[in-house]
Amino acid sequence: MQVKDVKRSFGNLRALDGVTLNVDEKTVTILIGPNGSGKTTLINVITGFQKPDEGHIHYGSTEITAWSPQQIYRTGIARTFQIPSMFGKLTVLENLLVAEKNHPGESFRKSLLKRLWAKHERDAVEKASRILQLLGLSEQRNTPASLLSGGQMKLVEIGRALMSDANLYLLDEPVSGVNPTLAHEIFARIIGLKEQFGITFFIVEHRLDIALKYVDYVNVMASGRLIAAGTPEQVINDPKVIEAYLGA
Amino acid sequence: MTPLDQVILFVVDLLALLAVYLIINIGLNMQQGIAGIPNFGIVFAVAGGAYITGGLSTRLAVSLLGVRTNLDPIFNNVAVLASVNPILRSQPLTAIVLLILFLMIGGMAGALMGLISSAPAIRLREDYLAITLLAFGEVLNVIGIGYKPLIGGPIGVSVPDIFGWAGEYRFYLGTLVLLLVAIAIFAFAGYIIKTPFGRTLKAIRDNEIVARSLGKNITQYRTSAILFGSLLCGIAGSLWVLYSGAVTPTYARFDWTFLPWLMILLGGMGNNRGVFVGSLIFVTLNKLIIYYKFEFVGILPFDIVWLNYLLLGIITIFILIYRPEGIVQERWTAPKQDLSAADRST
Repeated sequence: MQVKDVKRSFGNLRALDGVTLNVDEKTVTILIGPNGSGKTTLINVITGFQKPDEGHIHYGSTEITAWSPQQIYRTGIARTFQIPSMFGKLTVLENLLVAEKNHPGESFRKSLLKRLWAKHERDAVEKASRILQLLGLSEQRNTPASLLSGGQMKLVEIGRALMSDANLYLLDEPVSGVNPTLAHEIFARIIGLKEQFGITFFIVEHRLDIALKYVDYVNVMASGRLIAAGTPEQVINDPKVIEAYLGA
Repeated sequence: MTPLDQVILFVVDLLALLAVYLIINIGLNMQQGIAGIPNFGIVFAVAGGAYITGGLSTRLAVSLLGVRTNLDPIFNNVAVLASVNPILRSQPLTAIVLLILFLMIGGMAGALMGLISSAPAIRLREDYLAITLLAFGEVLNVIGIGYKPLIGGPIGVSVPDIFGWAGEYRFYLGTLVLLLVAIAIFAFAGYIIKTPFGRTLKAIRDNEIVARSLGKNITQYRTSAILFGSLLCGIAGSLWVLYSGAVTPTYARFDWTFLPWLMILLGGMGNNRGVFVGSLIFVTLNKLIIYYKFEFVGILPFDIVWLNYLLLGIITIFILIYRPEGIVQERWTAPKQDLSAADRST
């Protein structure tokens, strides 16, 4: 994915001020920066929830600038949210099943005849079960999502994203509010998914103590601009980063 | 009339009204309870089904039965029906075919009304959508009163007696048909709720933003829910007209929007069992008051005409304070299939 000179303002506040960055295939890249530096706005712009004022976003060879969230999802980019967002009255399993792409039973017309969607549903349940097992949530499959802990909700969000069979996952603070043991576990699973399935991750995260040891590349934002990019070792030794973020 | 006859009459009347409200409430529940669309204008769809049935049924019957008349089916309604009804009384099968036809037309009219009322605001947030739907609520009454060719203006029109072939058992048959349609719709809506389509509607209700992020077209799903719910309301409006034999432009928001809301709040939204319980309790209490309120004359320190309204007020307060989720709460439903098999395959 390539983000080129993207700008986005809210009134007089310039949240993104010409951000340019690349996310390479089959890597785990994190985006860090102080609060208000524009990280979540960038995720929102990439996934179509906010339109950029200027700039271009390419996914592979396709320009996806200002596409709708539905189009972005269908093209193979899935996201999670900073605050865990559940379908509260659905079970954990159902939360994952909603994320299934191109399910014939989700069309009113086709839902009328069960034989048109029953097999797809069975396959989707099997896929969701495998993901729940991978995330250690098998026991909670029939638990209403609203009754989960914050950490478990984060895992369900990741599970929902995995249901999409996307190639690029944008995770907004996947381990915030999660205890250190579980946070390490989540990152270890992310690395496992990258290595096993060749999935690309672009992650917004504050918890550098946990994240840095797992990631391939780091991008640093401050005041709506990208101020550094590189490997974890390069970035943590960058004076601009130390001044703007790490040294704070 | 013997006491037994009175009880039978009460029960038949009760069941007919229960069936009609159950269909409307299932339609409302599909929109508010399942899809999270606060439709305060379902009277628009109910009246749509009722008025279209009132306006077209005699015309269609005249045409389909080959009745030769120069009289206008609306302005000379009684005279035209005097030719139509004897044919229907002697041809039960024809009457049944017409009943099905009228219900289909009523349902489509309801769906169309739902589409029209929601179109301006379907892309907006829930609160704006609710205000728009509220505003549409009584448009059809104004049209019904002002445009006489529709249902004859303020005095209304009678409709062909579809159940007349049952003779003295006409109202029993009518009630039975209403109940059968209500049961069929209850089962069908229950099935729809459990499909992936129903699950997606609930997901959108629970969290619209996340649903969008998962590729769901919110506008399309909301439109489908409104169309389906309004179609049911249109069928209910049509059934009520055919059962009662006439239609007048008096489809008030109070009876056909506020009361259904109260019933689903009482029973519990998001599940059809709750809708049934709420409808049963409310319609029974309401009917009991209508039948027996005169027994309280002189006993109560206020005019008995207020008893119904007091009941509504008390129920509303009771629900809001003690049971905001309703009597029957929405259940969490796992997809019905061999989940253990899925587990084994992992």
